[in-house]
Amino acid sequence: MKPEEIKKMQSPLSAWLVKHGLVHRSLGFDYQGIETLQIKPEDWHSIAVISYVYGYNYLRSQCAYDVAPGGPLASVYHLTRIQYGVDQPEEVCIKVFASRRNPKIPSVFWIWKSVDFQERESYDMLGISYDNHPRLKRILMPESWIGWPLRKDYIAPNFYEIQDAH
Amino acid sequence: MTVPATRKDLMIVNMGPHHPSMHGVLRLIVTLDGEDVINCEPVLGYLHRGMEKIAENRTIIQYLPYVTRWDYLATMFTEAITVNGPEQLGNIQVPKRASYIRAIMLELSRIASHLLWLGPFMADIGAQTPFFYIFRERELIYDLFEAVTGMRMMHNYFRIGGVAADLPHGWIDKCLDFCNYFLTVVAEYQKLITRNPIFLERVEGVGIIGGEEVINWGLSGPMLRASGIQWDLRKVDHYECYDEFDWEVQWQKEGDSLARYLVRINEMKESIKIIQQALEGIPGGPYENLEVRRFDRTKDSEWNDFEYRFISKKPSPTFELSKQELYVRVEAPKGELGIFLIGDQSIFPWRWKIRPPGFINLQILPQLVKRMKLADIMTILGSIDIIMGEVDR
Repeated sequence: MKPEEIKKMQSPLSAWLVKHGLVHRSLGFDYQGIETLQIKPEDWHSIAVISYVYGYNYLRSQCAYDVAPGGPLASVYHLTRIQYGVDQPEEVCIKVFASRRNPKIPSVFWIWKSVDFQERESYDMLGISYDNHPRLKRILMPESWIGWPLRKDYIAPNFYEIQDAH
Repeated sequence: MTVPATRKDLMIVNMGPHHPSMHGVLRLIVTLDGEDVINCEPVLGYLHRGMEKIAENRTIIQYLPYVTRWDYLATMFTEAITVNGPEQLGNIQVPKRASYIRAIMLELSRIASHLLWLGPFMADIGAQTPFFYIFRERELIYDLFEAVTGMRMMHNYFRIGGVAADLPHGWIDKCLDFCNYFLTVVAEYQKLITRNPIFLERVEGVGIIGGEEVINWGLSGPMLRASGIQWDLRKVDHYECYDEFDWEVQWQKEGDSLARYLVRINEMKESIKIIQQALEGIPGGPYENLEVRRFDRTKDSEWNDFEYRFISKKPSPTFELSKQELYVRVEAPKGELGIFLIGDQSIFPWRWKIRPPGFINLQILPQLVKRMKLADIMTILGSIDIIMGEVDR
């Protein structure tokens, strides 16, 4: 596997957003040269529509993670453009941070339908609640489960170390 | 007993997790109006094992046995993607021979997965015999894998920097024999199935998805290619050594279940082409020749070069992942399998998100079965090709 060269310029989407004066912050480039943008939850819905109009029609994957124990939760979207005959397509990675106490992020289901199950999984595993999602309920854990399993401060219930079980 | 008058209410049928036709443990709550389907809600999670949480506490070498349990029919892909992430993070070069061996294993795994898709698909439609025929071919692939890796299905063969061991003596000849045999067998399947009028009645025009919708729903793999979009990650991303082989992306235009069937059958034939080219062109040739060449020459012969090894350097058990993020993907037989890896300058990753193709492809099921008959649910579910091991992780 050859290591990719880091592109030292802004991604075209970022340049376009700056040109139109929309607030976002660039988090630099990840290892393959794909730019990561940070968007605030309030702006996310409009910027998602703008990205779709700009041409990013394929939402590859949506995931969520917690940034640090006690810190914010992040919801990550990988977008790319599917076009005929394209080689090395443009990609962008967008992160939306939400506070840990009340994590609410607008859902982009009505723009890219592929986040349907993925946002449900982020809700199920980390507790990020997506507004306007048609059926936001637990998907992998049983519906009556309490707690958000993938958070770093999650304690598995009824799970005792052998030496403390007495 | 008084029979109630005909009710206009809709009937809710639970096609529960235990069902021979369900591709694993998938529960469908189907709302019916007579024989027409109004709505269908998939309920997942019966095989959720917490693979992502486990990954946060395992090193890569410790995690490799887990990954084959995601998609247990195409195991080489899960292993390939697990080692691709750390390789890219650590800037580790993979020798050419290892890359060729990996490509051969991946394509054999793709054939195995498509074969085991074909069997249950035909069984759901009602033709029980292809189910046995595909297992006959799959057993041959299992034999090949067992000779190389020691295990029939859960191989644990890929390592960071290459593969765990080189090919045994005589493997390349056996693999070429398999390729020649398999082409005759695929012709047999085509004769048996593809122009069969009963099959065509069940499958043509069922579950049609248009090109725009497919992209919006985020589908990938044969579902994308059957709707007219020629998107194959092996050609787009130029990973491993697929660029050195001469092969075409298989695609169809209609977007119905028949198109998906044809895409998968043609993909199997393309995979055989790729395997044959890789076997002819592998650097160093069969291992018995390589061994003899190394013994014959002096100490620093070219046959000990980097490109003729099967692993670049055995990675240490405390291989550290640097504090970077990475999204790697491969073209698994079911779609685009991806890993979003956030490293944390330690031996354990901070977040290991698996993007399973079956999970994303399953989202479109409720939309596809609306206004179809009850019997078409099985055809559509079969043609989407899901496997619950990776849907639920």
